[in-house]
Amino acid sequence: MADHHLDAVSAASLSGLTKRFPGFQLGPLDLVLEPGTVLALVGPNGAGKTTTLNCMAGLVVPDEGGTEVFGEPVHATRTEYRRNIGYVGEENGFFQGWTAARNLKFLADLLPGWSNDRAKRFVERFALPLDKPVNKLSRGNKTKLALVAAMAHGPRLLLLDEPTAGLDPVVRSEVLDVLWEITEDGEHAVLYSTHVLSDINRLADELAFLRDGRLVLRSGRDELSESWRQVSFRLANEDAELTGVVEHRRVRAEHQVITREAEATLQQLADLGAESIEVSRMTVDEIAVQILKEGHHVARAES
Amino acid sequence: MWHALRAELAYFRPYLLGGLGIASGVILLLSVLMRFSNDADGPPGFVVAIFPIIAGMVVSFICGSLRVEERRARLLLSGALTPRQLAWLTVLLPACFVGLSVLAVPPMIGVAALVAGKLEPASWPIAGSFALQFWAYAQLGPLGQESCAARRQNRGRAGLIGWAVFAGVILVLVACQLILRSTQGHLLQVMAVITAMGVAAMLYQGRTDFTR
Repeated sequence: MADHHLDAVSAASLSGLTKRFPGFQLGPLDLVLEPGTVLALVGPNGAGKTTTLNCMAGLVVPDEGGTEVFGEPVHATRTEYRRNIGYVGEENGFFQGWTAARNLKFLADLLPGWSNDRAKRFVERFALPLDKPVNKLSRGNKTKLALVAAMAHGPRLLLLDEPTAGLDPVVRSEVLDVLWEITEDGEHAVLYSTHVLSDINRLADELAFLRDGRLVLRSGRDELSESWRQVSFRLANEDAELTGVVEHRRVRAEHQVITREAEATLQQLADLGAESIEVSRMTVDEIAVQILKEGHHVARAES
Repeated sequence: MWHALRAELAYFRPYLLGGLGIASGVILLLSVLMRFSNDADGPPGFVVAIFPIIAGMVVSFICGSLRVEERRARLLLSGALTPRQLAWLTVLLPACFVGLSVLAVPPMIGVAALVAGKLEPASWPIAGSFALQFWAYAQLGPLGQESCAARRQNRGRAGLIGWAVFAGVILVLVACQLILRSTQGHLLQVMAVITAMGVAAMLYQGRTDFTR
């Protein structure tokens, strides 16, 4: 019965989350993240990704709405929810003059649920040098330390703000592997923000696109891959309005379109008598670029 | 909270020892100069007493700015600390640094007396008054920081209260130096400092952003 209850609880749920700054408003955001899911929060600089993660971690108090993590309300004055959260930001508050080992020792006494064995496993996996002061560590090693610190107390939700930014390909691959393994058991969830669109293909099974503080689109990676296509064709009728098309290039009768509703567009092209139809799949990062460009157009039109 | 306080004190120990080392150097130099200038009275005892306290105050300022720069609140709020505990940790640190530096006063007076040969007897009310002043300045650091943070986070009323208390404490300190150099004056200064600590802690708890 207890297990059933645990299964029913979402890893994180945001309801009407709103935070206002001079000249910028995040939200209202509504988002649910199920256990076992890796959700990539994608958006350009200033879209509100970091603020969203900070609100979820309880570091920023929202003006309206709120967040629950595994059923526990997130509020700065409460501590219960924190045992379920591991957070990696750009700056993680470490004692810069202390070694990585001393920082981890301090955290071991600070964080309930900390496991030295788990910490040791991650340290070995990442080949993290423990004897150097944090301010002498490379950016990659600082990220590794932050990941070890975030995961050693066994949280069920990882909030990662640009975890792979500035990492070399080998380290990035290792970090993505570890994150993937963590979610394999179906009990853990990861929400991470990223600019590195190639990471999406590797890790995320869901994507949420943020633009100017608003959620533009939330979709599964496979659904996106199935519905978006690049189509080239010949069509004499130049005025034809095609369903789902987000980008249309035309040289006389030669057309090239990007559609987010491939099935409907292809059906329409068949009805219009288009010839030489060639359909090609798009990678998820190509689709992400299109969605963000489209969101940009929407925002510009509204402003 | 005590675990975090001990860690912060351990982290800033080299800064405090460095500050006290510089203060010792200045006192030694002063004592040597006094000895060779045939000054019959030696260096004033209260001057010797305030150097280490100034060192404690300066270290508390360094600690305040480094903790913000290193975003310590982020780390501490990932654990079991509440904002209230974090607030008291922030306002207790300056008191700890000034308190620890007061412990260094007797040995420094002893060394100065040995080197100079003789020490002008310390006027303890004056020395106490200066010590309280420097403790108050140290505690004004977190109050100023939290008043700025409140304004930045659109908590205008809280920011105004912070700055009003800040100005009030300064006025009390000035008045006590000019008029009330007595036990009552000292008590008034202590009350002003405790008020500054309490208001800084309240402002910290009311933060809407703990990322710095």
